[in-house]
Amino acid sequence: MACTNLTTMWVSSKTSLSDSSSWSFRSVLNPLPLPNHNSSPLRSSSVSPIQSSLRELRDRIDSVKNTQKITEAMKLVAAAKVRRAQEAVVNGRPFSETLVEVLYNINEQLQTDDIDVPLTKIRPVKKVALVVVTGDRGLCGGFNNFIIKKAEARIKELQGLGLDYTVISVGKKGNSYFLRRPYIPVDRYLEAGTLPTAKEAQAVADDVFSLFISEEVDKVELLYTKFVSLVKSEPVIHTLLPLSPKGEICDINGNCVDAAEDELFRLTTKEGKLTVERETFRTPTADFSPILQFEQDPVQILDALLPLYLNSQILRALQESLASELAARMSAMSSASDNASDLKKSLSMVYNRKRQAKITGEILEIVAGANAQA
Amino acid sequence: MTLNLCVLTPNRIVWDSEVKEIILSTNSGQIGVLPNHAPIATAVDIGILKIRLNNQWLTMALMGGFARIGNNEITILVNDAEKNSDIDPQEAQQTLEIAEANLRKAEGKRQTIEANLALRRARTRVEALNTI
Repeated sequence: MACTNLTTMWVSSKTSLSDSSSWSFRSVLNPLPLPNHNSSPLRSSSVSPIQSSLRELRDRIDSVKNTQKITEAMKLVAAAKVRRAQEAVVNGRPFSETLVEVLYNINEQLQTDDIDVPLTKIRPVKKVALVVVTGDRGLCGGFNNFIIKKAEARIKELQGLGLDYTVISVGKKGNSYFLRRPYIPVDRYLEAGTLPTAKEAQAVADDVFSLFISEEVDKVELLYTKFVSLVKSEPVIHTLLPLSPKGEICDINGNCVDAAEDELFRLTTKEGKLTVERETFRTPTADFSPILQFEQDPVQILDALLPLYLNSQILRALQESLASELAARMSAMSSASDNASDLKKSLSMVYNRKRQAKITGEILEIVAGANAQA
Repeated sequence: MTLNLCVLTPNRIVWDSEVKEIILSTNSGQIGVLPNHAPIATAVDIGILKIRLNNQWLTMALMGGFARIGNNEITILVNDAEKNSDIDPQEAQQTLEIAEANLRKAEGKRQTIEANLALRRARTRVEALNTI
């Protein structure tokens, strides 16, 4: 293919050389005058630098192509994992629905105002525990940064209020961040792994439970990233303990959400693009409750129910955090792939121009040599 | 007349089918549930659940929770549940030894609470392997 190029250019050069000078000819063919500047006076020695930079460009284009393949693969893997995370949330629904139903039933049958369950005890707050949920791996855009910034902001707030604090860090990224900052007291480092199960949630719950019951802390707050949409995720702070006996989830501003309302996210396609839809469910609570006899004291029953609720809350937070991390990774890898293909295009153009310039140079050498002889 | 048993953990449904009889460990002792049991609600302790299907008993380790027995429908909500066929004996024994060691070196109220819980769980898992 190069040979035919050469011959056609040979023909055109022969005709045009008679009309114009070689300089203008070259400038017409090559819109980039800069690399030609060097090639004209030192023709013999300039061939090798051009050749090596051609090779460098080709290597660069290959490496960009490989990088693009990797980022594209990572995006697809993240998309598949979001689906799995979604299934995990769906699998957890029967549990939380039944729990909420039972909680409602019991609250109806008891006067919960004077129930004294250790997990719901509201004490004057002197020390707060912050459970910070981060991811394990990087390459997910600003995901880990957002949640860590939120944690730092909350720590400053607490310091401003004169309250003591301790951190329970879940996730490798958070762990390494807090390890490098020994001035922040960290209670425990935990890791969630690729798919948070009841065991990991149990580990966090145990820690939180014992901290609260032994009265080492008076309030436990959960910092995780809420999964809003594929491009947007919000770090939120929820008050985990003390629990309200009715099972409401409250955030730090005191806005409470009923436990019966549940939000689920679904990965679907809309107009050919992957999107996430959130649906709000309200668990149907039976108007009449069957007369359930309590085997034990109602307080003991609540005592058994509330740790279950704690566990499921923590697990949901871990799952949502994982889903947001995967969504952030998907969008980060998608933009990385796009950037890689743009870079490849512009590099290929530069490469082609350089290649054509080199060929032109060779032709002109030959022509000049032929002219000199003739 | 058979009982329908549902064992739910926060991240999956462990059991959802019909059984003939179950024996459940609660905070106030073990209770046996046969078809047409009166509806009750009870807290479930960290212990063993025995399920009978056609003269064959199956054991499951439960890590504490709640049980609601309705009209031939039993719903057990637990933090974690493991069938004894899913537990690795050596791993369970090791976990038990680690838990005992942790309890011995636990200092302070908080570590003792945690270590106690871990020990009870590990012990239940080993027991689940040993029964039947």
